[in-house]
Amino acid sequence: MSAPGRPMRRLAGLAFSAGLAALAAGCGSQHAGGADGPTGPNPVLPPPHHYLLPPMGVAKVVGWSAGATPEAAPGLKVTALATGLPHPRWVYPLPNGDILVAEANDPKAPPPTRAKDIVMGLVMGHAGAATPSANRIELIRPGAPGQPASRSVFISGLDHPFGMVLVGNDLYVADTDAVLRFPYTPGATSITAPAVKMAELPGGPINHHWTKSIIASPDGTKLYVTVGSNSNIGENGLAAEYGRAAIYEMDRASGRMRLFATGLRNPNGMGWEPTTGALWTVANERDELGDDLVPDYLTSVKDGAFYGWPYSYYGQHVDTRVQPQRPDLVKTAVAPDYALGSHVAPLGMTFDTGSTLPARYRGGAFVGEHGSWNRANPHGYKVVFVPFQGGKPNGQPVTILGGFMKTKGKVQGRPVGVAFDRTGALIVADDVGGVIWRVTGG
Amino acid sequence: MTEPAHSTARIAGHPIHPMLVSFPIAFWIGALFTDIAYANSYNLFWLNASAWLILAGLVMAGLAATAGLVDFLGSRGVREHKTAWAHMIGNVTATVLQIFNELVHTRDGADAVVPTGLTLSVIVVLILAVTGWLGWELVYRKKVGVAE
Repeated sequence: MSAPGRPMRRLAGLAFSAGLAALAAGCGSQHAGGADGPTGPNPVLPPPHHYLLPPMGVAKVVGWSAGATPEAAPGLKVTALATGLPHPRWVYPLPNGDILVAEANDPKAPPPTRAKDIVMGLVMGHAGAATPSANRIELIRPGAPGQPASRSVFISGLDHPFGMVLVGNDLYVADTDAVLRFPYTPGATSITAPAVKMAELPGGPINHHWTKSIIASPDGTKLYVTVGSNSNIGENGLAAEYGRAAIYEMDRASGRMRLFATGLRNPNGMGWEPTTGALWTVANERDELGDDLVPDYLTSVKDGAFYGWPYSYYGQHVDTRVQPQRPDLVKTAVAPDYALGSHVAPLGMTFDTGSTLPARYRGGAFVGEHGSWNRANPHGYKVVFVPFQGGKPNGQPVTILGGFMKTKGKVQGRPVGVAFDRTGALIVADDVGGVIWRVTGG
Repeated sequence: MTEPAHSTARIAGHPIHPMLVSFPIAFWIGALFTDIAYANSYNLFWLNASAWLILAGLVMAGLAATAGLVDFLGSRGVREHKTAWAHMIGNVTATVLQIFNELVHTRDGADAVVPTGLTLSVIVVLILAVTGWLGWELVYRKKVGVAE
């Protein structure tokens, strides 16, 4: 995925300012916000911009050279638990110390229906050739101290698996189009028993945001499943968005599903805030409104709440690109709790409920930021820590694991799923780096 | 003005440029109508139709312009007509505007059409009305490319 996009954009921008300024009012650069754009509990949002060519900066993946690691914050240490995995996206530590890794890559894009697909390909020089999706879950068993971990294929033949959760001896896997249940035996290194399909989820053929994550309520009676939108802002038509941009609650015994919260453009990681017991999630917000719009966010998820997508963002900021508008829905839109920064692409999220990391991290949230592709100056590409106090985020996000972007435009890895393993170490899935990282206290 | 204004890009004596120009003209007039239809309905079908029509028009305009340029450069008689210069400059302007219009039409949602996309589509059709008239002037009055 090389991107000769910037020179083209400059060229277009030049020609544009030479003769067309009057025709396309509203285009231009913006200078609002800090280096990372608005972050924190009360972000000040810049006005939206409408671009001729939206800013892009697709980074080239160079991978990790032998022995190279991300940079851990002071007092923390990072080591590779396993390397050379095919696009590991999500991690789920099992009670016996094994770590499950969902390995999947983007589904094949459907044939173009919009001229945009062809024009952006021409302008940005998109190279296709994504690596095929492994569509499986691998099991990693950490070795004795100083010994390498062992790996085995745990479940194969899945359809773009992402979320995983174990309740008792039932292992739930969120494929891109269904919630599946497998029987798990403690200590098992593979499952060959057929899946029981618990529920269908919105999948192809467009399947724009295809990752589905899943967690269980602390008492194990309910499952919560995220489903991302099928577009940026509904440009594939509202019919394509049926049942999407939402978090579902599933009754585990009956498999019955209901919408728990809606208007969440692309929610992924979820966790239970340890002091209040509230469900929290991270969500990716919309593109092409500017480098500092719209902040991706971390938020508590209220039962029945509508978070605005596609009609409004960050509460009731109306997105005029979405027509016809729905003022009735916008009126009800809830603002999220905490801005992580625009286009940082938060995917993984977990609370520290008793790790072996230094005590200052206790009770806060760790977020895996996959990194931007739609921002002139790329950001994200790191794992951040958000301190919590009294059940609410308190303070700016702090980088815990950085150095995924080697130099601007050259990426060694991209963090996705994060979770604490049995030993209290933070496990981080690095999809393009093909590595599972393990972060421990000094 | 004694030099004969012949067509250089031709097939069996038939000039190619007049065969091709009808494509971008028809596509881009069509895009104006689909833009109007979108602005009045917000039905995404019309938005996508506009984007495809403008793109198809650009492809055909590129071919038509190539044939036209060959005629223009291939005959001093053609270049001696002021009308030919105006016809060319107008059509190149319309094509450049449509490149920007296509980029506008790649935006997500209503931004793709209202107001900038629709405005550009109107301007382009107005330009084409003039340059088309000038093109006919070149053939029917100045007899550019007409066989002796």
